[in-house]
Amino acid sequence: MKLIFEKSFPGRIGFSKPIDLFDDIKLEESIPIKYLEKNKKQLTEVSEVDVIRHFTKLSKFNYGVDDGLYPLGSCTMKYNPRINEKMAGLANFSYAHPLSFPDMAQGSLELIYRLDKLLCEITGMDKYTMAPASGAHGELTGVLIMRKYFLDHGEKRHKMLIPDSAHGTNPASAAMAEFEVVEIKSNENGTVDLESLSHAMDGETVGLMLTNPNTVGLYDEGIESIQKIIHDKGGLLYYDGANLNASLGIIRPGDAGFDVVHLNLHKTFSTPHGGGGPGSGVVGVKSRLIPYLPTPVVALEESSGKYYFKDVGEKSIGMIRSFWGNFSVLVKTFAWILSLGPEGLYECSKASIINANYVLAKLKEYYKPAYDRYCGHECTLTGREYKKYGIKTLDIAKRLMDYGFHPPTIYFPHFEPYADETIMIEPPESEGKEVLDDFINTMIAISKEAKENPELLTSAPRRTPITRTDDAMAVRRPILTYDDELRLKDELNYQEKDINF
Amino acid sequence: MRYIPSTSEQQKEMLKEIGVSSFEELLSSIPENVRLKKKLNLPPALPENELEENIMHIVQKNADFYSMKPLIGAGAYRHFIPEAEKALLQREEFWTCYTPYQPELSQGTLQAIFEFQSHISRLTKMEVVIPSIFDGASATAEAVLMSIRLTHKEKIIISPLLHPHYRETIKTYVEPHNIEIVELPLQDGATSADMLKQSLDNNTAAIVVQSPNFLGGVEDIQEIVEITHQNDALFIQVIVEAMSLGLLKSPGNMNVDIVAGNTQSFGLDLSFGGPHNAFLATKKEYIRQLPGRIVGETKDRDGKRVFVMTLRAREQDIRREKATSNICTNHNLNVMAGNIYLSLLGTEGLYQYSLLNFKKAHYLEKELLKSGKFTNPFPYPYFNEFLINYQGNIEELRKRLIENNFIPPLSVWQFYPEEKFRQSLLFAVTEIFSRDELNKISNLLSQ
Repeated sequence: MKLIFEKSFPGRIGFSKPIDLFDDIKLEESIPIKYLEKNKKQLTEVSEVDVIRHFTKLSKFNYGVDDGLYPLGSCTMKYNPRINEKMAGLANFSYAHPLSFPDMAQGSLELIYRLDKLLCEITGMDKYTMAPASGAHGELTGVLIMRKYFLDHGEKRHKMLIPDSAHGTNPASAAMAEFEVVEIKSNENGTVDLESLSHAMDGETVGLMLTNPNTVGLYDEGIESIQKIIHDKGGLLYYDGANLNASLGIIRPGDAGFDVVHLNLHKTFSTPHGGGGPGSGVVGVKSRLIPYLPTPVVALEESSGKYYFKDVGEKSIGMIRSFWGNFSVLVKTFAWILSLGPEGLYECSKASIINANYVLAKLKEYYKPAYDRYCGHECTLTGREYKKYGIKTLDIAKRLMDYGFHPPTIYFPHFEPYADETIMIEPPESEGKEVLDDFINTMIAISKEAKENPELLTSAPRRTPITRTDDAMAVRRPILTYDDELRLKDELNYQEKDINF
Repeated sequence: MRYIPSTSEQQKEMLKEIGVSSFEELLSSIPENVRLKKKLNLPPALPENELEENIMHIVQKNADFYSMKPLIGAGAYRHFIPEAEKALLQREEFWTCYTPYQPELSQGTLQAIFEFQSHISRLTKMEVVIPSIFDGASATAEAVLMSIRLTHKEKIIISPLLHPHYRETIKTYVEPHNIEIVELPLQDGATSADMLKQSLDNNTAAIVVQSPNFLGGVEDIQEIVEITHQNDALFIQVIVEAMSLGLLKSPGNMNVDIVAGNTQSFGLDLSFGGPHNAFLATKKEYIRQLPGRIVGETKDRDGKRVFVMTLRAREQDIRREKATSNICTNHNLNVMAGNIYLSLLGTEGLYQYSLLNFKKAHYLEKELLKSGKFTNPFPYPYFNEFLINYQGNIEELRKRLIENNFIPPLSVWQFYPEEKFRQSLLFAVTEIFSRDELNKISNLLSQ
């Protein structure tokens, strides 16, 4: 479809013209000419109607949770309640200036303070920082806290243990703290191999970053031994909260011995993913790590009942962003927890675990699981046996689109020999049984097609606004702006610029 | 529970199909010792109407921010947001979807990101744009790390007029890497080229300068870039007030190497400081060291023009510990917002709004100076924020403004605790103020 730039007509405007009563103020009198651009920056010239139609049309080329099942593993694409959006959008939250005096923002501060307490109870931790903007940002915060802790104790630890099933962000975050990453192999049960772990853990090692249940969807049955191995050698245990949706009211990372956790509020806590954010990656710690949290934190002055920003002190890792956190995401999280209460939270995890095991039970005959055992809130199948029909797991995913589903996560996790050609399915609690039955029947139908009519898969998708994309060409000849395209105009032979859908 | 469709009957059926007699059986791999044996100690579930009342009760403890126009900016600016943008952002297809890994189901998001990259490229005259890092501070820190990877040098020079939170964030990000950070001393409203010359050496990876700077001042970027390049270092320009891009010379036209730009002013709520958004822009030659996601154009099997996430060999899900950054989820919905905002404003709108910001700020400064209650500590060219010294009691001034429904300006002393700044106020004036309001403010403060 046409770019907004291609809909431009000289002279059109899409903004409401402000009234300028300031002819007495002259630009050139106050700013040297050399600091100014000679001509107006060339953007678009379109009307408000053009903009509304353009983006409404664009929206129809997207697929969201409200459109149907979105079973991306480790992403927890659950329903985003409308009341949460309304609460976050309350004018006196959304218009609050971050540097106005604490006296003016007592409501915002109280919400942060109370959310900290709620999250501590849910996860068994002692204190949260609301600053991190995403899961990976939380990981960076967490590993910096661990780093600072050891420096403060005069220890130079430089290695971080990370299971082969971990998200890519774990090793990337550890590298940002200048830790050397040591990969720990998964055992035949799909969980951390205790022997490898105790072999790798030593006095130069910071600790272990663990997702539990892990990315294969399996609870680590060795969690007690794991924490003992790490703590016996003076290390710290990091909890990647991407999969917390399997744990609410069932198991708390704090009780299982984790010292630092990050939570993806945009996963377990129902805040929307927004097409890739903004989310929030709040970090919780045990009391001995509180002095290292990013500064500031919100505190309550008991005598006056007033909330204020408290400097964390000289041991703090410092600031990791401007201002205090992704506040509107915190409001949605707060609203969600209060809506559900303790029973509701437990029911979420329960329903999501039943959903995932149901999908696993119904599909394992058709798509061999990476590990044939009960899973947490997501299950990991594989598309291995369709290779002999010339079918890749990617083809299965693309074919699902023709049936109106968003595909699950594919090719992740990846580790030999158990997890390759993986299809990681996470059907959160907000998916009812009949939706799962539809999905299951579709997956079974696709397995039949793969054997009998593989072309249906390799040519898929056909019912989407576009067909498969040439990703290699995008890298070989990067066109990253409209002006890049204009420069290459003569080389590009597009069939059509308008997507008909 | 209204967010969980399956009934307990249906769950029982599912458990039967799974082949277990109870839900507990599915949890058998969790050791008994670490299981939670009590109910979470949380308040009981609230019905929706009570939830709303509860949160209304909390928000009422805030000042009436909606009605109070801020005379404070300092990294977060209240601009007018067109209703058309807000309405479009309500489309669930934009906000309930995930990162656009499947291009066949995400062309809406992908094309909008591509358009945003194109918009920012035109505004900055930079060749490549990473559309979304979390905020200006983290984007600046990523730019610094990028400059170290590009130059393999070990020193970073920071202007004292870089936003204090940004300076702190750089220090946090860089701390593990054994990098020397030199913060130039503060002199007046501009970064000192002489001081910079003294600090620059062969081992300098980059110099970081914000323009307009924390005091609103427009820096002589061209001059500092030249000095920087003479020393084979990279120049990072930080833009905190993106509205200034409507008037000020584009970084790309001044040979800036990397731009980190906070786009909160492009259609984003203040939201008590977040979520906002920032872009990173650079030259094509530095593309391999960029952190974060980028969208490119290609063809589909039918030969149609389509958009995909590209140049992904830099990213964490592929490169793991060798990635250029750990960033994964960013602030894409705020990219969507920025793109809609810039589409609505267009060539003429951005220019007019930008010019009005300039005019209104300068008008207020003139009026305040006229009153005799204010003095200008040191003059410098600025965009929409200016520093001014107040002769009277600052506490009184603050009260008077609040009583009259204005959020007071920033006392810069909290960030620059030098005696000369005891009475200094940093005013931000955007297009949202009318001439009458500005007159009212200057009258209020001239009494």
